[in-house]
Amino acid sequence: MKKISILQVAYKSLLRKKTRSALTVLGIAMAAWVLVSLFGFNRGYESSLNKDIDNLGFQMLVVAKGCPYEAATLMLKGGTGLKYMSESIAASVAAEPEVDAVTPMLMQVVFDPNKGESGGLAAFLGVDPATYPRLKSALPFQAGGWFREPEAAEAVFGYEVAELEQREVGDLYLIPEKEVEVKVVGILQRTGTQDDGTIFLPLGTVQKVFGVSELTSIGIKVRKDADMKAFEDKMYKLPDVQVVSLTQVKTTIMTLVSTARVMVFSIAVIAILIAMMGVVNTVLMSVMERRQEIGILKSMGAMAGDVFKLVWLETIILCGAGGLVGTGLALITARLTDLLVRRLLPYSPSGGLVSIDAGLVAVTLGVVTAIGLASGVYPSWKAARMRPLDTIRSEEES
Amino acid sequence: MKTTSPSSTTESASRPRAARALVPAAAAALLCAAALALYAAVGCDLNDPDRDVKRLFPGSTGYKTLYVSISRKGGQDLLQKIEARLGDRFAGLFETIDVPYTMYEIYKGQELIGYIHGTNQKGTYGGLQVFLALDRQGVIRGFYLQKLTSKAAKAFRDPAFGGQFLGLSLADFYAYDIVTGKEDPPGAVGRIANPDTASDRDFRAILRATKKNLVLVDEFLLGNPHLKFFKG
Amino acid sequence: MSAPVPYVLEAEDLRRVYRRGPEEIAAVDGVTLRIAKGAFVSIVGPSGSGKTTLINVLGCLDNPTSGRLALEGRTVFEKCRGLSESKLTRVRREVFGYIFQKFYLVPTLTVRENVVLPFTFYEKPGAGADVDRLLAQLGLDKRAEHLPGQLSGGEMQRVAIARALVNRPSILLADEPTGNLDTARSDEIGRILGDLNAREGLTVLLVTHNPKLAALAHRTIELVDGRIRAA
Repeated sequence: MKKISILQVAYKSLLRKKTRSALTVLGIAMAAWVLVSLFGFNRGYESSLNKDIDNLGFQMLVVAKGCPYEAATLMLKGGTGLKYMSESIAASVAAEPEVDAVTPMLMQVVFDPNKGESGGLAAFLGVDPATYPRLKSALPFQAGGWFREPEAAEAVFGYEVAELEQREVGDLYLIPEKEVEVKVVGILQRTGTQDDGTIFLPLGTVQKVFGVSELTSIGIKVRKDADMKAFEDKMYKLPDVQVVSLTQVKTTIMTLVSTARVMVFSIAVIAILIAMMGVVNTVLMSVMERRQEIGILKSMGAMAGDVFKLVWLETIILCGAGGLVGTGLALITARLTDLLVRRLLPYSPSGGLVSIDAGLVAVTLGVVTAIGLASGVYPSWKAARMRPLDTIRSEEES
Repeated sequence: MKTTSPSSTTESASRPRAARALVPAAAAALLCAAALALYAAVGCDLNDPDRDVKRLFPGSTGYKTLYVSISRKGGQDLLQKIEARLGDRFAGLFETIDVPYTMYEIYKGQELIGYIHGTNQKGTYGGLQVFLALDRQGVIRGFYLQKLTSKAAKAFRDPAFGGQFLGLSLADFYAYDIVTGKEDPPGAVGRIANPDTASDRDFRAILRATKKNLVLVDEFLLGNPHLKFFKG
Repeated sequence: MSAPVPYVLEAEDLRRVYRRGPEEIAAVDGVTLRIAKGAFVSIVGPSGSGKTTLINVLGCLDNPTSGRLALEGRTVFEKCRGLSESKLTRVRREVFGYIFQKFYLVPTLTVRENVVLPFTFYEKPGAGADVDRLLAQLGLDKRAEHLPGQLSGGEMQRVAIARALVNRPSILLADEPTGNLDTARSDEIGRILGDLNAREGLTVLLVTHNPKLAALAHRTIELVDGRIRAA
C-alpha cells in the first residue's frame, strides 16, 4: 500500500476512542430508530385507518323515514313497518358532487313457519350487483363470489346463515312463504358484523319476488376530500328520508390522526436536535483533543480544505453508521412496535400499524446524513482554521 | 328440579344462547341489512329447552344437559364404529369428529324418565334439525322437526308424519340402508310413508338424521343395548 | 534576486515579537543566518532563548514580525508581507520535513500508514517509490505493520523521521528530537541524523539541549535572548 485515503484516515481516527464513537453512533441510531418507527407508524396507522373506513364501503345510509334500520327494531316489529322510498332518490343522491358512489338496497322480511315450534323470521337484502360488490370490495368470500345478473335467482350467504342452513356453493335455497328457489353462488367469511346473518339477493330478484318496486335504503360512499358535514346537512333536507352517518366517527378518528402527526413530527424534530447536539459535541471534543495531530497534518502539507474534509468525513461516518443501525433496528422491531402500540392505543385499525418501506429508509438515511453534514460544519471549520504552530506549541512550550 | 351439567361451559355448546344475546348487539350496527337468523351453531340444541322439554315430555319436572363428542369419547376408532352402525360416512360441517352433541336427560322428580337429542342434517333447501324424545330403552316417544326448509315442510311437520316414528327404536333402523333408501328385510321403517314424493331427498334426509340420532344416543347415553341387533 | 551560492535558507534581520499584555517580547530579535545546502546546523541556547521560535519562523510554521526569509533562493517573507496560509502550506510541503520532541503518530494507523500519511494530502512526484527503502534505512522494515503502541520510543521517533522524509524535503527541521529519549536512544537518533546528512546530503537544522547531539553538527549557532551570539 503506497497511500492511505482520507476516508481511511477518518475511519481510523474514529477507532481511536471506540467507546465514544460507539456511543455517538448509538445516539444517532436511537434518533434514526425513533424517526423511522414514528413515521412508519404514522403512515401505517393512517393507511390502515383509511382502509378500515374504505372497508365499510359506504359512510352514509339514507333510509325511508320511519324505516327501522336496526335489526332489533325490525325484529320487534315482526318484520312489518318497513317504509319505502322511490328509486329516483338514488339517482338524485348520486348526482351530488360529494358522492363517489351510491348503492340502492331493498330489505324484505318473511315469516318462516318452519323455524322452531312457532316459526321465525327470515330476512333478505336485495343489493345491486353492479354497485354493491364494488363498494363492499373488502367483504371476504369463503367460497364462490357475487351474483352478476340484476334478476338472477342466486344468493350470497353470510357465514352464520350458511352454517345454519348447511348451504354450500351450488346448493339450493328456498325463500320461505314465496316458495322461490335460488342457487347459492357465494358464501362470505365470518366478519363479526350483521353480514354474517344476512342472505343477499340481487335487488331485481327481491323486487320481483316480493312485488316491491321501491327501496328501503341507499348506501352512499362520499368522496374522501368532500366536506362530510356540509353534505350531511344537505341530505337531511331531503324529504321523507332519514340519514344515518359515520361522519362523526371518521372525523374524530381523522382529528386523532392529525394530532398524532403533529406530535410525531415534534418528537422527530426534538430527536434530531438532540442527536445533532451529541454529534457536534463529540466531534468538537475529538478535534480539540487532536489539536497537535491536526497541526502535524498541516505541517506535513494538509491544506485547510483537507482537514475540513477529514473531520467532516468523520461526522458523516458516525451519522451514516448510526442511521444504518437505527433503521435496521426499526425494521427488526417493527412487529414489536406494532404490538406495543396496539396495547397502548384506544383504537387500532386492522392491518399493519407500522409500515416501513425502502422509501422511508432512504429518506431517514438522507435526513441523518444531512444532520451529519450540518453538525460537522462547525467542528470541521474549527479544525481547518487551526494553525500548525499554535497547536504544536500549545504542548511544546507549556 | 333443573340441573345443569358442569361441563355446560363448553364453548360451542353454549353458543346458541350467546348467539341470541348477540342479536341486539349486532343490531346496533346501522346498516338496514337485517340479520335475523342468528342461532347458528355447529351443535344442535333446543331453541327453548325449558318449554320444549315440557312439550316433548309432558309430566317431566327437570332436565340435565350433557355435552359429548366422538373425539373426546373414543376418537377415530369410535367414529369408524359409529359410521359402520349408521351405514354411511360422516361428512360435512355438522359431522366432524369434534361436533359437540347436546343430549338432554329428562327427569320426573329424581327419576330419569328419558332422553331428548337432536341432530343436524343437510336438506335440499336448507338445514334440518331432527329431535327425538326417547324413553329409557331408546324407543322413540316424540318426534320434532325443529328446523326445516323444504317444499313439503308443511307435510313433514304434520303430526301425522312424525307419528309414524313413534314406537320405533334403533333395532328397527338397522335394516334400513340410508344410502339406497331400501329396507332389507322390509320392516317398520320401510312402512313410514313419504307425504310428498317430489321431496324424496328431504324425506330420506329425515330418515338419515333419525338413524344417526338413535346410533349416537345408543352409544353415548344407553350403553349400547342395541349393538346386539347390528349385523354390520 | 537570488544569490549564485546555493544557500538553501537565508534569513535577514528576522524578528518575532509577542505581545503579553502591554509588554512586547522579542523572542527572535534580528537574526541573520545563511545555511548552505547539505549543511548540518544545530541551534543551542538556554531555555527561553528563542530557539524554538526561531526554528518555527525558519520552518514557515510561524510568521516573523519583520525581516526577510528566502528558501531555495525564493523570498518567502519580506518586511511585513508574508504568504497566505495556503501558500505557506505549499512551501512547507515542498521544502521541509519536521520532527518534534513528541512523535505525534496516529495510534490507530500502522507504522507504514503513519509514514505514508503525508501522501494523503500531497505526494511529491516519484516520492512514493522510496517508502520501502526509507523504512529499511531506518530499520523499520520489520515493524511496518505494527501499531505505534507496540514500538519503543526510539522506534517511534524513527517512524516520525521516516514520515518527515517521505516527501523528500530539502531541509529536516528537528526540534528537540531526543527530548523524550534515554541516552542510548538519543545516540541512535543522532547517528541517524548524521547518516542522513552525510549520505543523502540532507540539510539538517537541529534545536537541542543535548550537547552530545549538538556536537554532531558541522556548525553550532548559540542563541541568547533571541540573538545569535558570535561564535
